[in-house]
Amino acid sequence: MCRDASVHNQARQWPDAERCEGDATDVVAPPGHWHLAWQAADGSAPFSLLIDRRAFVAALILLLALLTASFAYLAMGSSSLPPQAVLAALVGRGDMMAVFLVQELRLPRLAAACLTGAAFGVAGCLMQTLARNRLATPGIIGIDNGATAFAVASVIGLGVSLAPPAMALVGATTAAALTFGLAAGGGTRGYRFIVAGIGIGAVFGAITQLLMAKVHIDTANAAYPWTVGSLNARPAGAVMLLAVGLPLGLGAALWLTRALSLMRFSDAVASALGLRVSQRRWQVLMVSVLLTGLAVAVAGPVGLIGLIGPEIARSLSSPRGVPVVASALAGALVMVLADLAGRVLLSPLEIPVGIVTAVVGGPWLLWILLRPASRNLA
Amino acid sequence: MVLLVLVCLASLLLGAGDVGPARALSVLMGQGDAEARFVLGSLRLPRTLIGLVVGLSLGVAGALLQAVTRNPLAEPGLLGVSAGAAFAVALALLLGATATTMRVGVAQLGAMAGCLCVLGVARVSGAGSDPVRLVLAGAALTGLLLSLTSLLLLFDQRAADEIRFWIVGSLAGRRLEHLVAILPSLLLASGLVLAVARPLAAMALGERIASGLGHRPGLIRLLVIVAVALLVGAATATAGPIAFIGLVVPFAARALAGPDIRRTLWFCLPLGPLMVIAADIVSRLLVAPSEMPLGVLTALCGAPVLVAVVRARRMPTL
Amino acid sequence: MTRHQLATRDLTLCHGRATVIDRLALSLPVGKVTAIVGPNGCGKSTLLAGLSRLHAPKQGTVLLDGRDIQQLPARELARRLALLPQEATAPEGLTVAELVRFGRQPHQGWLRQWSAEDQRVVHKALAEADVDELADRPLDTLSGGQRQRAWIAMTIAQQTPLLLLDEPTSALDLGHQIEVFELVRRLAAEGRTVVMVLHDLASACRYADHLLALHNGQLVATGPPGEVVTTELVRRLYDIDCTLIPDPATGSLLLANVRRASRHSVEA
Repeated sequence: MCRDASVHNQARQWPDAERCEGDATDVVAPPGHWHLAWQAADGSAPFSLLIDRRAFVAALILLLALLTASFAYLAMGSSSLPPQAVLAALVGRGDMMAVFLVQELRLPRLAAACLTGAAFGVAGCLMQTLARNRLATPGIIGIDNGATAFAVASVIGLGVSLAPPAMALVGATTAAALTFGLAAGGGTRGYRFIVAGIGIGAVFGAITQLLMAKVHIDTANAAYPWTVGSLNARPAGAVMLLAVGLPLGLGAALWLTRALSLMRFSDAVASALGLRVSQRRWQVLMVSVLLTGLAVAVAGPVGLIGLIGPEIARSLSSPRGVPVVASALAGALVMVLADLAGRVLLSPLEIPVGIVTAVVGGPWLLWILLRPASRNLA
Repeated sequence: MVLLVLVCLASLLLGAGDVGPARALSVLMGQGDAEARFVLGSLRLPRTLIGLVVGLSLGVAGALLQAVTRNPLAEPGLLGVSAGAAFAVALALLLGATATTMRVGVAQLGAMAGCLCVLGVARVSGAGSDPVRLVLAGAALTGLLLSLTSLLLLFDQRAADEIRFWIVGSLAGRRLEHLVAILPSLLLASGLVLAVARPLAAMALGERIASGLGHRPGLIRLLVIVAVALLVGAATATAGPIAFIGLVVPFAARALAGPDIRRTLWFCLPLGPLMVIAADIVSRLLVAPSEMPLGVLTALCGAPVLVAVVRARRMPTL
Repeated sequence: MTRHQLATRDLTLCHGRATVIDRLALSLPVGKVTAIVGPNGCGKSTLLAGLSRLHAPKQGTVLLDGRDIQQLPARELARRLALLPQEATAPEGLTVAELVRFGRQPHQGWLRQWSAEDQRVVHKALAEADVDELADRPLDTLSGGQRQRAWIAMTIAQQTPLLLLDEPTSALDLGHQIEVFELVRRLAAEGRTVVMVLHDLASACRYADHLLALHNGQLVATGPPGEVVTTELVRRLYDIDCTLIPDPATGSLLLANVRRASRHSVEA
């Protein structure tokens, strides 16, 4: 058995495919794709992969941007470091102070920013695809708020409580169950679903405030930045849990990509193409809720990342697929940039990252809502 | 009306402090000890009166806004009007303003700006025709303004302390002078409401028909927006942003009064204060001895109403 | 192409508590075009949804080659039976060729994403539905008839012996309707079994080999159009009187002199 990996670079168009029809070994990838096939001796290809070129390039661009932003993140702050010093500090050399600053202070926070941003981005992308509604991100339909309310309850120590990440998961699940159970009766495509989700989010927001009102003012002040979304007060265990959960969630999302791309069709079409719609919807919802809960446990409700990340990813990618990887990268990028801006802009004061994203994302949301093209969404 | 009187009485009698209903009652009878007298006269009486006025303003403002947008979900808190007022007040405090009267004016200007912003944008983009989409735009604007307000608070610790208490919406610790400060604008708003009530009823049939009946829709809309801004600004300056009253009260009033906006407005008059004061009493008692912000409680009650309205298959059009 | 048989036994479909299809037993002729006709609300589309497993039966079974379709794996079913629902929506910006490639999904997997076979079938489907020149056009820029042919091309790419179409011509003007019907005839000529729900009785007579007439969830007539369509059937289905005349060119039946049924005939 001879196996050779062949990569057909697709510069040719359809008429060429016609010419080589009948020649089974010469498979031409559809336009805009790379085709990878491991061919067996008899010419059949037991394994073949299609890679969307534009999605690949988009992911590459976002990755480069994320690396650049991360470097800036490490260099800038209350005391800025020159690039060489950052590099030296990363490998543990150079000024003690710089090493401490980079390795002990900024690197863990950068990691938390990347992880939460990616989790919010993927969760947003999944939820949008699931609901076939680009406004249906976990932050907007109240899941973030549910997770926050439960996690705050855990932080301030209410009678029955688990660790914050577990409580955040419970809260996210509760809010998702409420929103989908109560509001999705009329379908998830219209604006009604979104507004019902906003209502449910408002209830959980109120519960959070209620909990804050019950405790001592100092405890409340300590919890305050976290309730608007901040990377400053991240519980260490939650970061570790997210570091485990994100690869799992991302892997599950990738495993579901083919189902996801079918989910964008109406249910009848998806089902006719062999998708078990309700089963897959459950799986996608669970992954999205899991990622949201874990991310909220770290950074609080920075929900607009789930809107902005996939939006950037989609504008860079082709309409063929669901940009899961690009959403993760774009989410991480936005999170890193937003937290960097929060740290640097009003230095030495620090703006919670949730406020930065809200100030940037709010107008974006309004723009999506109000431009005429979005009418065909409802 | 009877209910309202009862609730007002209850508001005077019940509270978080040591002064129980019996001692409070004796004060009302003209006796009682000095402490009870102080609690009632200086704490609970102003609080009740302010609750009365705030409920009145928010209820009527909600009904007006819903009538003029012909949208059952239009609510000052949801559309960003309250958030506009709150942002303006935070900005004014940051810039050093402290006088109560000035706060009222500033809040009204902010409310006006918020109102014009969301309605204007919705009108330009054609989103105004879809009730739910308008609310979504309002929610986006509210989120934006609240974040900007939080941002302002970061700049100034003193303003932050002063505002953090106010921004969640509460009737606690308000004095009678606050009430005096907003009275003129309330009177002005009442005049406006009386003037537009009749044409507004005609507007319910559609703008074309209203102009056919000899009204000027553009002018009416402007007057209503001014009245809403005056009312919401005054209420917000006094009690902080309190959401959902403007949604729930007209909702209940319409259920009781039927579709005519004039009857609805009359029903809003007792219902608004009733709801605000009742919510305030609950907020005092629920987590006693500390207090829960009123805005939190109204959100807890109001948001399910929002979900219910949206869930209704056929949304009532106004 | 192997012959696959679709049949129902004692099939009952409900919407909530209302029974839409009542204990229906039928068998669809293989390699023919079958049209399901009947008045609005008679359960035509529900029956089609039931046949394609979109609508789970309250009672009874749909049998594909003697096996209950509820028991078949989803992908297995999608390799044997293709459905074009009435309001098919696709993601924004998708091109015709991309849409048609989605039709190969039931034959692909995570590690088999594109094969020579896929390429050949997609190409053939584009040509068969006569949309190969539109292959790179986004779906939302096409006319109604072109878009419908693109969707049918997707179902062709599924390479199923059975094809179910729910009112494939409902939103199309006359010219576009004919395009779609002629495509359907070509598909049947290749040996596929086509089932379509139709609104218009005359088109059903012209383009179908076999007719299923539904009324109130019951089968009231079944057979070749020339044999089963009578003035009585038309009156029973649509509450109209008409004269049936053969098309001078094709011999298929046409409805002429159509008017509302007179009182006594309805009672009779």
